[in-house]
Amino acid sequence: MTTTRELGWALCRSCGTLTDQPGEKCLVCGASTEIRKPQSLQYVWAFWFAGVLAYIPGNVLPIMVTDSVAGTSPSTIIGGVISLAHHGSYVIAAVIFIASIAVPMTKFAIIAWLALSIQMRWKLSAHRRHIAHEAIEFIRRWSMIDVFVVAALAALIQVGGLMAISPGTGLDAFALSVIFTMLSANSLDPRMIWDASHPGEEKHVAT
Amino acid sequence: MNVQSRPSRLIAVEQLNRDWVACPYCDEVWARPDLLEGERARCGNCHSIIFIRKTRSAERTIALMIAALILFITAMSFPFMRMEKSGLSNEISVLDAVSILWTNDMHFVALLCAGFILLFPLARILLLLFIGVSLLGKGETGRPHAWSFRLAQLIEPWTMAEIFMVGVIVSLVKVGKLADITLGPAFWSMTGLMIVLTIGGQTICKDTVWHNIRGQL
Repeated sequence: MTTTRELGWALCRSCGTLTDQPGEKCLVCGASTEIRKPQSLQYVWAFWFAGVLAYIPGNVLPIMVTDSVAGTSPSTIIGGVISLAHHGSYVIAAVIFIASIAVPMTKFAIIAWLALSIQMRWKLSAHRRHIAHEAIEFIRRWSMIDVFVVAALAALIQVGGLMAISPGTGLDAFALSVIFTMLSANSLDPRMIWDASHPGEEKHVAT
Repeated sequence: MNVQSRPSRLIAVEQLNRDWVACPYCDEVWARPDLLEGERARCGNCHSIIFIRKTRSAERTIALMIAALILFITAMSFPFMRMEKSGLSNEISVLDAVSILWTNDMHFVALLCAGFILLFPLARILLLLFIGVSLLGKGETGRPHAWSFRLAQLIEPWTMAEIFMVGVIVSLVKVGKLADITLGPAFWSMTGLMIVLTIGGQTICKDTVWHNIRGQL
């Protein structure tokens, strides 16, 4: 059981090339070959806070504004879910609820938990955390659904004078939140999850 | 390529990689496994799949990417859907949709759509096609292939054709009560594109490509 770090090697995360001179630019693909991504957790937290901050206006402000002869009506994400459920479209309401509320919340929680567990050296099962990391890798993109829903509606519903749909300020904030959260998850070097479980590696401090 | 002319550093790195691999998830070092087509190598420590030797990787990638390219072109050139309400109708293509968003001052959303559903998927199709054709042909690869494949991997999480299609279906349910919707050929092309891209993105054998590039630099 040996890691590349113990051998004084490093792995290029882009092309999988091993090098015995960590820090050099990967000779194959040109990416940097660090033993661990430098300042990984700082990037994770920076993007995490940006994502959480953008998520608040994304939910509080209207993401969609409907202009019709009946007047102007703004709607928020949760308002859209409620009105869909109210009209009997339970499946679609569930899709939007899961993609826009459940998934982002879960992502924030899992990323924070992983980052804290690395930072605080919690003695947790690396396997369980590894599965959690794979799960966020898989679901991270799907929160974009609501942005595309509004984009499709806004592009489609432009019937001269009768009715028009346009995105609200909340949508930009929500899209930014999704992008920041993706970047945050991306910044987490999964190898750090396993570092504490390798004997003789306690001396390395994660940053 | 003349082996004697290669820098000694490259030869050293290539030799290191001919014997060893490391798990990208837990950093464990293993002797490079000799895989047959269809076999996969799992890390003995964290049980992640380190790599899969895909069956007929280049042929499948080329086939699926050509299909994707055709579907992409049809998805761009035909109407996506048509909406009717109170005698007024509105027919839009995918490109119209982006330009409507842009001209109605929804710049950020327009840019996101243009990038995530048009530019990035198209770039990925062309990059993977380029790599597939090079591998199947003489198998000669070099710097351009390394850069192309790295770029293709980088934009992978940002190609959101399938998420867009789910979004469109949700919006259809929302709008169904307000107006009459007719789906155009581009809608079905996009649906096909979504399927082909999802499968086609997984058929290329990453390790074979990088190993091939590594051996020829």
